[in-house]
Amino acid sequence: MVSVELLSHLPGFTLDVSWQVSDGVVALFGPSGAGKSLTLHHLAGLRRPDAGRIMVRGRTLYDSARGINQPTRDRRLGVVFQGFALFPHMTVAENIGFGLRRFGAPERRARVGELLERLGLGPARDLRPHALSGGQQQRTALGRALATDPDLLLLDEPLSALDTPLRRALRDDLALALRGFGKTAIVVTHDLAEACQLADQIVVYEGGRVLQVGRKADVLGRPASPAVAAVLGIRNILEGEVLEATAEFIRIGWQGHELRAANWSERPVLPVPGSRVAFFVRPEHVRLMRKDRYGAPVERRINVFRGDLVGETDLGTSLALQFRVAGGELPARGYDLEIEISRLAHEKLHLDYDRQWTVAVQPSAVQLLESGELR
Amino acid sequence: MFAESLDLLPALLSARVAGLSTLAAVCIGTPLAWVLGRYRFTGRALLENVVLLPLVLPPTVVGYYVLVLVSRRGPVGEVLAAAGFDLAFTWRGAVLAAWIGSFGLFVRAAQAGFELVDPKLEDAARTLGRSEWGVFWSVTLPLAWRGIAAGTALAFCRAVGEFGITLMVAGNIPGRTQTIPLAIYDAVQGNRMADANALSLLTLAVVALLLLLARRGARVRF
Repeated sequence: MVSVELLSHLPGFTLDVSWQVSDGVVALFGPSGAGKSLTLHHLAGLRRPDAGRIMVRGRTLYDSARGINQPTRDRRLGVVFQGFALFPHMTVAENIGFGLRRFGAPERRARVGELLERLGLGPARDLRPHALSGGQQQRTALGRALATDPDLLLLDEPLSALDTPLRRALRDDLALALRGFGKTAIVVTHDLAEACQLADQIVVYEGGRVLQVGRKADVLGRPASPAVAAVLGIRNILEGEVLEATAEFIRIGWQGHELRAANWSERPVLPVPGSRVAFFVRPEHVRLMRKDRYGAPVERRINVFRGDLVGETDLGTSLALQFRVAGGELPARGYDLEIEISRLAHEKLHLDYDRQWTVAVQPSAVQLLESGELR
Repeated sequence: MFAESLDLLPALLSARVAGLSTLAAVCIGTPLAWVLGRYRFTGRALLENVVLLPLVLPPTVVGYYVLVLVSRRGPVGEVLAAAGFDLAFTWRGAVLAAWIGSFGLFVRAAQAGFELVDPKLEDAARTLGRSEWGVFWSVTLPLAWRGIAAGTALAFCRAVGEFGITLMVAGNIPGRTQTIPLAIYDAVQGNRMADANALSLLTLAVVALLLLLARRGARVRF
């Protein structure tokens, strides 16, 4: 278990965080400049915070109240630095063996040999870092960090130095290696896909604060606030007025229409009618209704809206359509809903010249955000 | 063209003076260059300027102040004389003069060498259990050695060529403080052009070779 309380003032930036995670892989996730790497530096003892406490597996690494500040060398850490920071004047084997000075030569050789084998670096053992591929560099950095059998593994953007295709391939390898570590590994990343694939717990950072801490499924499925939803890249963050709340449904007045959201089944919320509520609809959960297959008349169905497509963005494999609901005020961003559809569907539905559409949203796809103001 | 019997004493003296002054520059200059290259502190710019000053001041001016300090009646010389140690007009004075003239060159090059070492590498060594001392020997120094080597070669060449400060502090005493540059000057004054020619050629060869080695070994800007 790792528990962290940090207060750190920098010119123009304040880090004020407190979180606790259990053993496993933890992602510190958030935009650049949120304080994730700074947290990592404090954990490693490379930079001293103004106040706080850091506990790792029952050991106190730092406690401003008790005047404890263990030097980096005694913290029993493995760190994979951004850009890897391999020693350029040493071979792969020497890099991996660097932290093993307290062991005798035979033990050191055995450990290095075992790691070289496990990481598939055997053929590269006598090469210097500049002669390695990006993937080999990453594995060398990981091997160097794991060699000392640390209590805590820290990884600062471990994949950001690599090209996109390579990054996806190495993410699998890294995920496997981290799961095999057994203790706590903390990964700093600003890439949500990376956080999701590597971690089982997520700490969401923004502006020097922690917005939410929890298991991956909870953070992704139930963001605590519009701010978390925004950091997670959720695009249709909306606001409306509560009309009625029951344990099953919440009826929301939105843009002159009524929208029905399914309440949380395990922990329902009951906002007061008349209060403002924030919610989001994932763009891939908004369905365009095919015009040749109408069922009941639109007016009698719930969560069905008429409107116009007012713009679109090409996302590569898919397209994001901008949909303006008929009636209601013009929102600041110029449209009400973003709809993501595949390129194939886009062609089949002749969206290029047919701009008037009806869309449907499942009540279960309307997710409430529990607190916080809209930004 | 060459003298019948070239007096090699100035060459030997120069080798000893430049060798000792370079040794002193490396020993004192390496820690200083490391501090200047790694840390930002008040007075850092002042310290850098003090180190560079002898390189840009007229050598006679530097030599004058050093002489004032180390002559028997000077504040430093008085103390040293009481301990039976003379600097002014001795070969030791020549070493001091050569050191003052070349120290800044060494520090500049070594500092550039230290500045090229990524602090992240030192952090990495710390996370792997090394003490500050261990970090310096295992990471910092091996990565900064090109700058240090370049500085050593530059300082040695500059020390061999040191003229003005040496003349002021150590004088021009044949066999005692007359290094190669002074001997060449003397030879020209005395119209012994063959001697001047031989000593100049010798110096040119040694210094050019050292510079070549230094520039090849060190891919450091200086």
